[in-house]
Amino acid sequence: MNPMIEIKNLSFAYTKDNMVVDNVNLTINKGEWVTILGHNGSGKSTLSKLMIGLLRAKTGTIKIDGLTLSEETVYDIRKKVGIVFQNPDNQFVGVTVRDDIAFGLENLQIPRETMIEKIDKYAKKVNMQEFMNKEPQQLSGGQKQRVAIAGILAMETDVIIFDEATAMLDPKGRKNIYEYMKELNREGVTIITITHDMKEAVDADRIIVLKDGRILRNDTAQNILKDQETLEQSNLELLLPLDVLYSLEKENVNHDALKEYLWQSSLKG
Amino acid sequence: MAIEFERVSHQYVGVDQKGYLAIEDIRLNIRGDGELIALIGETGSGKSTLVQHMNALLQPTQGRMNIFGIKVDNLTKKRKDVKLTPIRKQVGLVFQFPEYQLFEETVEKDIMFGPKNFGASEADAREKAREIINVVGLDESYLSRSPFNLSGGEKKRASIAGILAMEPDVLILDEPTSGLDPLGRNALLEVFNTIHETLNTTVIIITHDMNTVYEYAKRVLVMREGTLVYDGDPLKLFSKKNIDRWNLDKPEVLALAQDIENKFDIHFDTPPRNKTMLKDALKEALK
Ligand SMILES: Nc1ncnc2c1ncn2[C@@H]1O[C@H](COP(=O)(O)OP(=O)(O)OP(=O)(O)O)[C@@H](O)[C@H]1O
Ligand SMILES: Nc1ncnc2c1ncn2[C@@H]1O[C@H](COP(=O)(O)OP(=O)(O)OP(=O)(O)O)[C@@H](O)[C@H]1O
Ligand SMILES: [Mg+2]
Ligand SMILES: [Mg+2]
Repeated sequence: MNPMIEIKNLSFAYTKDNMVVDNVNLTINKGEWVTILGHNGSGKSTLSKLMIGLLRAKTGTIKIDGLTLSEETVYDIRKKVGIVFQNPDNQFVGVTVRDDIAFGLENLQIPRETMIEKIDKYAKKVNMQEFMNKEPQQLSGGQKQRVAIAGILAMETDVIIFDEATAMLDPKGRKNIYEYMKELNREGVTIITITHDMKEAVDADRIIVLKDGRILRNDTAQNILKDQETLEQSNLELLLPLDVLYSLEKENVNHDALKEYLWQSSLKG
Repeated sequence: MAIEFERVSHQYVGVDQKGYLAIEDIRLNIRGDGELIALIGETGSGKSTLVQHMNALLQPTQGRMNIFGIKVDNLTKKRKDVKLTPIRKQVGLVFQFPEYQLFEETVEKDIMFGPKNFGASEADAREKAREIINVVGLDESYLSRSPFNLSGGEKKRASIAGILAMEPDVLILDEPTSGLDPLGRNALLEVFNTIHETLNTTVIIITHDMNTVYEYAKRVLVMREGTLVYDGDPLKLFSKKNIDRWNLDKPEVLALAQDIENKFDIHFDTPPRNKTMLKDALKEALK
C-alpha cells in the first residue's frame, strides 16, 4: 500500500483550551475512497482544512504524497489536494461562473487553450454550461454547489475532498456527481467525502467516524454501518434495511429469506 | 387564506442586465390554519424565489399577492403607506444559507433579535433564547459564541433557532435539514411537526429529501423550471410517471415496502410512511 496522506498526532484548537481535532492519527492510501462521518461539530471540516494547510496544526504532522506540509510546501500540496468547501460561497472569487471555474487553473500555469477546454469540460460535467456568464452570487443554492465542484474538478488533483459538497443538490444531480466521483476513483484519484447521508458511505473503502475531535472508529464500511452502538454515539443512523432487520431479530421473527434480502439490500446503499 | 399568489412571476435582473425569469404565473393558496407542506423541485426550479415572496422579501414583478390581508405587487416598494413589518412577524423564513441570516456578535443576540424587534422585553427575549437553543439541539454554552465561528450544522441550527423564537404563524424552512447530522435531522423534523400540530402553525419545508416529504407532508408542491406542476397529496405523488418526468427519488420506506410486497408473501393494508410504521406492519404481518 502506498500512503497518499499520513497524519500523525494531529491536534488543533480554535480557542486556547478547546481541542476540536484531538490527537488524530490517520493514513489514507493512494486510490482509496474514504468517507468521514460524525456529528455536527465533530471536527470534520476542521480536519479537512488542516489537510490542505488552511489551518495550522497545533501539534503533529501531515504528509501528502511524501511531502511534509509546511509553509514552504503548502502551494505544492494544494496542487495535489483539492477541496470543495461545505459552503460554496467560501469558494467564489470571480465575477462570473467562468472566472470561478478558471481560478484554480490560473495558478497551475497551463496553456490558455487547455484551460478553456478544461473549463468547458467540467462545466458540462456539472451541467452548468448555460450559466457561464452569470454571477455566482446570483445562482440558486444547488447551482452554487455545482460550480464549486467544477472549479475543483478542473484542477485534476490526485486527491479531492468533498465536504458535504452535494448536500443541496436534487436527487438526480446528486447521483450524477456521485457516479462521477466513482469514475474518478476508478481512474486512481483518492477520494475523501464528508457526508451526513449514510447511503453515500456504503461504497467507501473505509469509514472514519469522528466524535468530539477524536477518531472513534476507522474501519471498513461494512463493519461500521452495521455497528449500531458506534452509530448512535455519533448521531448517525442505521441504513433502513438494516434497521428493519435488527428490529425483526429483536422480536425473534422467523423469516430467513426476508432477513437475507434485508441484509443484501443494506449493502447496496 | 393566509397567503395568496395571483399569477405571480418574478424576473431577476442579472449583473449582465439580462432578465432571468425565476418563477412564472404562480397561482397558489396557503391556509393559515395548520398545513404541513413540502416544497420540492430540481436545482434552480424557483423554490427559494417562491418562498421569499411569502414574507415579501421579494415582490412580484408581475401579478400580485395577498399576505395576511396586505396586498403586495411590483409597486409596493415605492409606496410609503404600505408597512411590511406585520408580515415579517407573521411569516418567518429560515434561509437556505444560514450565513445570510446570522449577523449578531453572539448566538444569543441573534436569537433575541426577532422577539425584541416585535416588542418583547429584553428579559423575555433572553428567556426565549435560552429555551429555544435546546430545542435546536445546542446547549446553552453556544449562546455566548459568535455565530460565525460555528460548524456548518451548528450555524444551521442557530439560524433555525432565530426564526422559531419569533413564533410565526407561518414557518417557512428552506432546506432546514441539509448539513444536519442524521439524528439531528430526525429530531428537528419532529420539532417542526410538533409546532405544526400543537400550535396550528402552517409549516412549509423545502427539501430534496423524499423521505421527509413522504413521512411528514400533508400537501406537496412540485416546482419545475419556474412553474408549479403539482399541488396535492404526497401519497399520490410517487407514481412511476411522476418520478421519471420530475426526476424524483422514491422515498426509502416506500421503495422497501414495495420490494418486500413483490418478493415475499406479505401485504401491507395501509402503506407505511416511516420506518416505525414499516417495522410494526412487518411484525404484525409475520406474527
Ligand atoms: N472559526 C471557528 N472558531 C471557533 N470554533 C470553531 C470555528 N469553526 C468551527 N469551530 C468549532 O470547532 C468544532 C468543529 O467544527 P467543524 O466545522 O470542524 O465541525 P464539522 O464536523 O465539520 O461539523 P458539521 O457537520 O456541522 O459541518 C465545532 O465545535 C465548532 O463549534
Ligand atoms: N439574484 C438573482 N439574480 C439572477 N438570477 C437569480 C437570482 N437568484 C436566483 N436566480 C436564478 O433563478 C432561478 C431560481 O433560483 P432559486 O434559488 O429560486 O432556485 P431553487 O429552486 O431554490 O434551487 P436550489 O434547489 O438549487 O436551491 C435559478 O435559475 C437561479 O439561477
Ligand atoms: Mg463541516
Ligand atoms: Mg434554493
